[in-house]
Amino acid sequence: MGDPVGQLEQGLAQVAQTYEAAFASAGDEHALREENAKIVGPQGTLTALMKLMRDVPAERRREFGKRANRLKHDVTQRFEQALKQLFAAARQAELSGPALDVTLPGRGARAGRLHAISRVRYELLDVFRALGFDVADGPEIDLHENCFDKLGFPPDHPATDMQDTFYVHTDQPIERQAQRPLLRTHTSTIQVRTMEQTQPPLAIVAPGAVYRRDDDATHSPMFFQIEGLLVDEGVSFADLKGVLTLFIQRTFGEDVPVRFRPSYFPFVEPGGEVDMGCTFCRPWAGGERSGCSPCKSSGWIEILGCGMVHPVVFEHVGYDPERYTGFAFGLGIDRIAMIKYGVPNIKLLYENDIRFLSSF
Amino acid sequence: MRASHKWLCELSGVDADADECAARLTGAGLEVERLEPRGVLGDQVVIAEVRGVRPHPSRERLSLVAVDDGREPREIVCGAPNVPSAGGKVILAGLGASLPGGLTVTPKTIGGVESRGMLCSEVELDVGTDDGGILVVPEGSKVGTMAADALGLRDTVLEIGLTPNRPDCLGHVGLARELALLFERPFERQALQRPTRFTEGEFVSDGAARFDTTTLYQKESPGEPTLSAIDGAEVPRSVGVTIEDGERCPRYGATVVLGLNVAPSPFWLRYRLHILGLRARSNLVDATNLVLLETGHPIHGFDLASLRGGQIVVRRARPGESLTTLDETQRALEPDDLVICDAEGPAAIAGIMGGANTEIRDDTRHVLVECAYFEPRGIRRTSRRLGLHTDASHRFERGMDPQAIPHVLARATSLLAELGNGHVVRFGLDVVAQKRSPTTISLRPERMSALIGTKVPEATSRRILEGIGCQIQTDETAPGKNAAHRSWSIEAPSWRPDLGREVDLIEEVCRIHGYDRIPTVIPRVRPRAATPPAIAFERTARETAAALGLHEVISYAFVSASELEAARAPTEAVTLENALSEERSVMRTSLLPGLAAATARAQRRQVESVALFELGRTFHPSRESPNDTRSSKALPDEQATFAFIVAGLRPTWIGNADDYDFYDAKGILERLVRIATGFQADFRLSDSLDTAAPWLHPKRRAEITVVRRTVGAVGELHPAVSEALGVNGRPVYAEVSLSELMLAQSQSDLPQARPLPRFPSVTRDLALVVRDAQTAGHVAEFLRAHSDGLVETVTVFDRYLGSPVPDGHQSLAFRLVYRDAEATLTDKKVDEVHQRLVHAAKSEFAATVR
Repeated sequence: MGDPVGQLEQGLAQVAQTYEAAFASAGDEHALREENAKIVGPQGTLTALMKLMRDVPAERRREFGKRANRLKHDVTQRFEQALKQLFAAARQAELSGPALDVTLPGRGARAGRLHAISRVRYELLDVFRALGFDVADGPEIDLHENCFDKLGFPPDHPATDMQDTFYVHTDQPIERQAQRPLLRTHTSTIQVRTMEQTQPPLAIVAPGAVYRRDDDATHSPMFFQIEGLLVDEGVSFADLKGVLTLFIQRTFGEDVPVRFRPSYFPFVEPGGEVDMGCTFCRPWAGGERSGCSPCKSSGWIEILGCGMVHPVVFEHVGYDPERYTGFAFGLGIDRIAMIKYGVPNIKLLYENDIRFLSSF
Repeated sequence: MRASHKWLCELSGVDADADECAARLTGAGLEVERLEPRGVLGDQVVIAEVRGVRPHPSRERLSLVAVDDGREPREIVCGAPNVPSAGGKVILAGLGASLPGGLTVTPKTIGGVESRGMLCSEVELDVGTDDGGILVVPEGSKVGTMAADALGLRDTVLEIGLTPNRPDCLGHVGLARELALLFERPFERQALQRPTRFTEGEFVSDGAARFDTTTLYQKESPGEPTLSAIDGAEVPRSVGVTIEDGERCPRYGATVVLGLNVAPSPFWLRYRLHILGLRARSNLVDATNLVLLETGHPIHGFDLASLRGGQIVVRRARPGESLTTLDETQRALEPDDLVICDAEGPAAIAGIMGGANTEIRDDTRHVLVECAYFEPRGIRRTSRRLGLHTDASHRFERGMDPQAIPHVLARATSLLAELGNGHVVRFGLDVVAQKRSPTTISLRPERMSALIGTKVPEATSRRILEGIGCQIQTDETAPGKNAAHRSWSIEAPSWRPDLGREVDLIEEVCRIHGYDRIPTVIPRVRPRAATPPAIAFERTARETAAALGLHEVISYAFVSASELEAARAPTEAVTLENALSEERSVMRTSLLPGLAAATARAQRRQVESVALFELGRTFHPSRESPNDTRSSKALPDEQATFAFIVAGLRPTWIGNADDYDFYDAKGILERLVRIATGFQADFRLSDSLDTAAPWLHPKRRAEITVVRRTVGAVGELHPAVSEALGVNGRPVYAEVSLSELMLAQSQSDLPQARPLPRFPSVTRDLALVVRDAQTAGHVAEFLRAHSDGLVETVTVFDRYLGSPVPDGHQSLAFRLVYRDAEATLTDKKVDEVHQRLVHAAKSEFAATVR
């Protein structure tokens, strides 16, 4: 071996002079790492120089050790700095480079949609559930007595004309009209069933399909209703107004006016219908109602029927009408869905045209 | 109910405009659905006087009518056959006039003669139905005045949607009473407009009576004819009324008017009927219709000469009897039908329609007027059975006012005599077979306040109750009790059959006082939290299915029997007795027909990718007797069912698209079941599907189980079923019972948290070539079972068919995750177990390692 001190001197000087340029000329991470390895890698020049250290006389070893280590430290630091710069440059290049084609479709299954009726059903139920109402259920095929008699429909009375009924065929003749099975014409059957099984107080809403023998441009033989019932001591018509006003304003907007009109349903008294301001022409907000077809220029849209539970209903289900009072209401989910989503024709709701189902 | 605003104002003394009247009526529960202005003719439609008529120079059937409207004398071309001679008054529509039919009058040249205006018929003016000629108005009409004013045409028709509990408002008098009350005006029931020539009938309670037609009114002026001089026709010397069925006809009144002359009614009457939707016929018929519209009570006029034996018998029809009604239809009668008979047989179907044999004809001179009370339910039964709904039956089945009979008869008799220039017989008959006592109701003011939620001032309550016709008889507080026990004893008016109990009166007060005056209160709801879990479960199922890419459909629950057959669904179904059509006559036993129909519809409309679900009920007949009241099973079984169908292209990312297949459906089910229940869905082959789900392809289907409970089936539709249902391709269909799924969930313990593994796992892949009939699941299970518990999971990650894998074989690639719960596995240990597994699998499945 020659002169280790000389070699070291020369080697260290060589490395010190060249490493920065070498790093600077490396165009990418790989090249940079290669340059780095040439110096400090296992086969690197600096590593080789370090190995000469043991041949250096002991009195200078400390000095060279220090110098070599400092150089190694400088190299490493410079390398890391260069690496950072490379990364930064690459990131900058990407950030200022061409954009992704974000108009290509997303990956994965397309989301389906709930039917408008289901969506409205859940929206409405949520409003009532937030008020403390339970949800109840009942069969779609029920007995005449649950659909009419116990609700106080007089037999052979024109009130039953309001709801033309589908009857279910039975092999044996039915002895009593009350036992005749039919497709429920309203969800009010659930009132009767719930009260027969439960003692007051109770507060329920009951959604479901109902059926009437009516099939024309504005009627579907099957449609959906929600029935509501609240029974307790001291329930008054003022409570009924409060709950239904709140319901309508939560569903359609806090500023929508609500109007209660007397009407007749055999199972409530006093009975009423509720109109809300037409949400299409919005006359209360300065809109022009003349020429508005959804409300026929009246500025009002009929939205539900309601009333105080008739004492005869309480008598039929075994409640004491002197002690308990209550209110009931019924609304058409279809109708509200049509208003909310601007569906022009009820038949669209049941045609199951996928283009309609997926359109909103 | 159509009502004339003008008439209502006359009867009620109210002078508010139609809009205001409508608003008040609607606010009181008599919903005015539409306002229809009538007699809007404008100032170009005026009375003109005919100055002369000459033939048209070139057109044979036309004439030139010289008219003067006080502004511009002119000649009008006219084709009417009834142009009056000079001095006659007609209606001229001048240039620019727009007529109700939409016609605007412009100058017209007909056969070389220019006509500046037209002479109008009733139809052109929409004031009647006569289009056989022009309308000729009374000579006294002032030339140049607007026709609408001269003829009194201006009116507004209120179209009122009456609820069935308000028969009292089926006539103008009843509506006027409401209106007067709503405008806080006193309402005087119209004074009996009986002619001085009428004496009220005798009261007979045994259900039968006769009266003598020869006892004519005592003539005031000498020279009026006696009966024998009136007519040579055979008029019965006496008329009798017998009620045989007092239940069905509690009260029957009759009067006789003699010596009538049939003629057209005066214009005002024809116009009133016209705008209210009735066709004017002749004075006698029009008179009965006017009384109907005025009082609301139907009356019927019999041609007295045709009434055999001068006898009215009210009875039930006898077997085999029939009657040809006014509409010239022969109606077979049944013993439940109430009929009005003469001495020999039926002359009218009581309360529904008269018979052709006794109808008022053009030569009728003598009329027997009937005004009766018929029991509503009976009228309704017969009316429905015959499919004959008339103005009369509509009213009787809602309940008429029995006490109104004398009044209505008096009004009818006087009107008939006046219009037909006839003579009223001195005695009428008013036969009461069943006396009705007035309804008395006690009303507690405190109870009323509690129910309404506010206190209505007592004076207001009294005014309202009296305004609807109630009589407040007493006002008492029970001895020793406080005001809460105060009660009013109230007699309800006879025209309000709907008032029977306290709450009915409370409603009246509430209704007239106004719902808008009742405060709005949010009640305290006492929570029970009794919502059945199925409600939330159904919602989760719906929302998850939608999130997984399925659109929800809602199909009619009724289908046709042939659809069920095509779908191979259970054909033992609930059948409707009165279906709208064969296509919708049975209740579905499967959701497949609805989903298949929606799929076929989408395919017809070139929708490439169909993914639909429905959650609804299927219906299955009960075996129990419907007459067994104790059985809760008498009703059909309703099964909450979830089903979905996928067909056509699977939406993939850009690139080649494939069709949906079994595994798409399986994947949807796996995720759905996991989300809805928290458990895994398992899929297995099962021969029981041959009968449980015959609509599925026998080789491409699986039974779905959750926690070992069978919940449904999934598979490609059987090609024959697809074909029968009209769907293309290879749709995959799944049907799941929600109740079974919920049971599977509720009967299993909740999964409990376990400690996370403390030692690392080791992964090995293994590709085996096995026969292609070999299920991957079986191989995977075998590998796991033979690993001494060291294999934690086995997943299939590839399946390959084709060269170099030999025919009839497949290559299945598994990823095995090894883990020892108690120690770190060494490679050596894993290699050892893995080799053993490979060896075992090779011999078990005749497999080779690839």
